[in-house]
Amino acid sequence: MKIAVCFKIIADYDRMSEKDWEWDDRHFIDISFVRHIFNCFDESALEMTLKLSKQLENLPDPCELTALTVDDEQGDLFLKHLIAIGFDHGVRIQCDGRLDMRFNSHGISNLISRYIRQEGQTLVILGYQGGDGDNGQTGFLVAEHLGWPCIREVIEVTVAESSDLLKVKSRIDGATLVQRVKLPMVLIMGHSLDSPYLRVPTLKQKLNAKKKPLTIVSSTELGLDNDALHSKDKTLMDLHRHNPGKSCVFLEGKTAQEQAKKLYDKYLKQRLSL
Amino acid sequence: MKLTRKEIVDQLKNIAGKDRVITDEQVLKENSHDRYKKFETIFGVYTNPIPAALVKPADTKQVSSILKFLNKNNINCVARTGGTATEGGLETIVENSVVLDGSQMNQIIKIDETNMLATAQCGVNLGELEDRLRKQGFTTGHSPQSQPLANMGGLVATRSIGQFSTLYGAIEDMVIGLEAVFPNGEITRIKNVPRRACGPDIRHVIIGNEGALCYITEVTVKIYKYFPENNAFLAWALDDMKTGFTILREVMVEGFRPSVARLYDAEDGVQHSFDQFAEDKCVLMFMAEGNEHVARATALGIAEVVEKYDGCRPIKAKIIENWFNHLNWGPEKITEERELIRKNLHIGFTTEVSANWDCINTIYENALKRIKADFPHIDDLTMLGGHSSHSYQTGTNLYFVYDYDVVDCKPEQEINKYHIPLNALIVEETLKAGGSMAHHHGIGKYRTQWTRQEHGSAYYILKGLKDQFDPNGIMNTGTIYPVEPE
Repeated sequence: MKIAVCFKIIADYDRMSEKDWEWDDRHFIDISFVRHIFNCFDESALEMTLKLSKQLENLPDPCELTALTVDDEQGDLFLKHLIAIGFDHGVRIQCDGRLDMRFNSHGISNLISRYIRQEGQTLVILGYQGGDGDNGQTGFLVAEHLGWPCIREVIEVTVAESSDLLKVKSRIDGATLVQRVKLPMVLIMGHSLDSPYLRVPTLKQKLNAKKKPLTIVSSTELGLDNDALHSKDKTLMDLHRHNPGKSCVFLEGKTAQEQAKKLYDKYLKQRLSL
Repeated sequence: MKLTRKEIVDQLKNIAGKDRVITDEQVLKENSHDRYKKFETIFGVYTNPIPAALVKPADTKQVSSILKFLNKNNINCVARTGGTATEGGLETIVENSVVLDGSQMNQIIKIDETNMLATAQCGVNLGELEDRLRKQGFTTGHSPQSQPLANMGGLVATRSIGQFSTLYGAIEDMVIGLEAVFPNGEITRIKNVPRRACGPDIRHVIIGNEGALCYITEVTVKIYKYFPENNAFLAWALDDMKTGFTILREVMVEGFRPSVARLYDAEDGVQHSFDQFAEDKCVLMFMAEGNEHVARATALGIAEVVEKYDGCRPIKAKIIENWFNHLNWGPEKITEERELIRKNLHIGFTTEVSANWDCINTIYENALKRIKADFPHIDDLTMLGGHSSHSYQTGTNLYFVYDYDVVDCKPEQEINKYHIPLNALIVEETLKAGGSMAHHHGIGKYRTQWTRQEHGSAYYILKGLKDQFDPNGIMNTGTIYPVEPE
């Protein structure tokens, strides 16, 4: 089974203060001084895939894991991390830096699906949305390009009876759906408090990973030039600050018990009885 | 005859009032340990004897009455305020201990703008005091990572240090006066004067006593004018720690006093994401602050020193400023850490030591080498590195940082399999080279086997303090002083 997990690196926006949100003429925000992290949905997808590959170890069909990202050189560190923790291949698709891919799910999904088809992958797993564009479309568009079925809001994947059958647990309208699915397939990971954290490589694993080369593929090698990748369906016109307006209520009371009672009576009681 | 658990609780209720004596089992369990045993306790395992009660005294007089009672009845007392200790100092290793929690003695008593002093009770949260001072244009200059959670009593009791120590000093440089209660109930106050030559400086009997001699009830610290608008960050990437130590030394010896002077090795830097800006490099950073003339001159002078050294590549100041502004850990980071430990069985600890300039790099290299050679579970380590974060005219500290996967052991076995042996290898190498085994976390309960070696012939003085002030040995047994075989 050839599994590709697509991930995205984003700036750690929690570490940006209000004054940091300044943009240039092209609506690019300077995030060069902020550390980057795995997008949380993708982090769940990556860790879940490692757990799945462990289950596949005992099956006759060997499992091959590819971590795939569309990024510039900053993605390499993260690919090395993934190779250290068990991915067989680290692949980075490089686009022309002049292209704005932030809101371009069409372009990103085109690149991913071209690579998937070229490499004969049978399972694609990706996070539901990235933290910057928040588009929530890439997974569905990858499935569309490949002509494969897809399941969204996936929370768990395990091996079924054979290596081309998987048991997929997903959320749907407040319920949990368990399906047995046949490959090929696109799985779109949701994220919740129960989602797993990505494991940390040991010193030995990090050392070994340094020796393994990464694969860098340009968009043109995948047959997509700037014109093909350019977003034709939408253009970013402007950015505005959203002011959600914070409200705060101070609970008065002489003692903690009195304050807790007010909190319960005014704000919690009604919710708990629902 | 020893009092029973029930008798202890009843008597405490008579002294402090029933609302101030807590016997809820889960609360007692949570107060039987500190962050040293964070792994097992996250999994609900509590291996220390559960204390008889947690008492939250209302005032100094109650502290005095409680201590007198405990002393008379040979009951072990563990002093506690914010509960952020990391070295086992808060562990209740004696059956039927009483935890004396000063967190409700939380009044800021006075901010004296003329004499530049702030007086606070032991349970005042440092973050709250700092916020109040900053509104008035002042700062304590004390900023440990635990600032949002730590309280004044504990900070003084453990000889804590903050991130701006190179300019403002550590807590012992800040404390002007104190109030403390000794186990016989004696209440002592040390007055607030700028300096005096009236015998030995008795503040130092109290500062850093880790609850092993007395209970700190009130603290007066210096305050400084606060000029955040003048903060200047500087940073460089460089190849090795040895060069970094040499530069740090030169900065200090030349007389510059940045508030922050830090040197990270490449491994430690990864967990702060420095590899994203300086892959496989050490990172040296400074922050200059204070009056604008001083801050500017400090930044210029430091840059001049560093740039004499080949191979130092400047790093954008904004990167360091952004990182530094997110270094403190409040309740949300503690929760996140607990989740990560629970889900991934992965944990990290530190051991902080200090040494003079002539041996600091030897300690750094030898300790890492020793761990790689002698630690039997090296394959489980995910991070092994260190940094220096507090520098002086004569030397600096070293913060060894080690993270690991907890493999094939029960939660309660974690400290014996990993933490204790790793800590021991670092302490041994430090003492061998002439350094000090604990820079700012205190001795707690896991480094007491080396207390005599640490102090050498001066242990006579340290032992004398215990004999004089806690002859019955009821104050935080097993902390600072090793438990003597009966």
